[in-house]
Amino acid sequence: MELRVIYDTHRRAFENMGIDEAMLIHLKEIGPTLRLYGWNPPAVSIGYFQSMEEEVDVDNARKLGVNLVRRITGGGAVYHKWELTYSIILPEIKGRILDSYKIIERGVVEGLKTLGLEPKMVGINDIAVNGKKISGNAQTRKYGGLLQHGTILMNVDVDEMFSLLKVPDEKLRDKHIQNVKHRVTSLHHLGIDVEFEELQKRIAEGFKYALNANLYEEELSSEVMATAKDLEVNKYATREWNFRR
Amino acid sequence: MPHGNGISEGKFVLKKGKLIKVHAVFEDSTIKRIKITGDFFIYPEEIIEDLEKALENIPIEKAYSKIRESMQKCECIGIDPDSLYEAVKNAWMKRS
Repeated sequence: MELRVIYDTHRRAFENMGIDEAMLIHLKEIGPTLRLYGWNPPAVSIGYFQSMEEEVDVDNARKLGVNLVRRITGGGAVYHKWELTYSIILPEIKGRILDSYKIIERGVVEGLKTLGLEPKMVGINDIAVNGKKISGNAQTRKYGGLLQHGTILMNVDVDEMFSLLKVPDEKLRDKHIQNVKHRVTSLHHLGIDVEFEELQKRIAEGFKYALNANLYEEELSSEVMATAKDLEVNKYATREWNFRR
Repeated sequence: MPHGNGISEGKFVLKKGKLIKVHAVFEDSTIKRIKITGDFFIYPEEIIEDLEKALENIPIEKAYSKIRESMQKCECIGIDPDSLYEAVKNAWMKRS
C-alpha cells in the first residue's frame, strides 16, 4: 500500500477536525493518508455522542482560551495540549470495527516501540505503557472509507486537565482525579522528552511497518483544503455543531 | 415521584467500561423526550438521533423492544440494547 504522510503543524481545533473530515470525503482522490499534527491553542474535543456542557467547564475553557470542538468520532473527552495526534484515512477494512481499530493502533504501538517502550493495546480503544494509558483512539466510517484519529501524550498535567473536564460524580472529584493520575502517563513521565517533529517521524515509521506501506510525502491539494475550510467555518467552529447534544 | 401533572424527569448514568448517560422526561409512564449521551461508539453514529426519536411517545414497558429494533442494524462498542435499557429503566425508576 502507498501511504501519503503529512507532517503537519499545530492548528486550531476547528481546522484540525475540518481537515480530518475533508481527507475522508476526498479519500478516493487522495488515497490512504496519514496526517500527524498538533493543537494550538490547546483544545478539548468531545466524542460525537457526548454533551459539551456535561463534559466540559465551558466558562473556564473560555477564560483559558481553550477551544472546544465536537468530533465526528465517538469516545470520550480529550484535552489536547502536549501531544501528537494522528489521523489516518483508509478504504474500509472488512470485518468487525473493533478489529480494524487494532490493525491501525498497531501503527502507534510500533512507533512507540522505536523509543524503547513496550506499549500494549488495552480495553476498547487505548494504548498503555506499563499499564498506564498513553494513547486514545477513535474511528468512524463514512463516505465509503474509514477515519481513525488518536493521541499520543507527550506530557500531561492531570490537574490542569480536570480544571476543564467535568468528572462523572462531583462528590468523588478528588478520588477520580487521583485515579486518573494513576492510570495515565506521557512520554515525559516515562523519561522521554522527544521533539514533536521527531515523534512525527517515529509514528510515521510505525505505520509504515504496521501497515506494510510505502510512505511518501505530499501536501493536500487546494481542493481538499477548500473542503476543510468549509467544514471548519460552517461546522466545527459553530455552536450548532459543538453544543448539539 | 412524578409531579401532579404526570410529568417527571429522570437521569441515570450507567458505567460498564464506557459511560451511558440517559436524561429523559416522562408523562405518566410514557417517554416524552430522551437524550442519550456518553463515550461509547455506535456505527453509523447518526443512528443515535433516530433512536432518540423512536423512543419518544413510547410507554416505558415497550422501550426495550423499541431499543432492540432500533439498534439491530448498527455495530456498537461500549453500548448494547440491554445496557441502554438498563439506563433508561433506572432513569424511569429514579424520576422526580
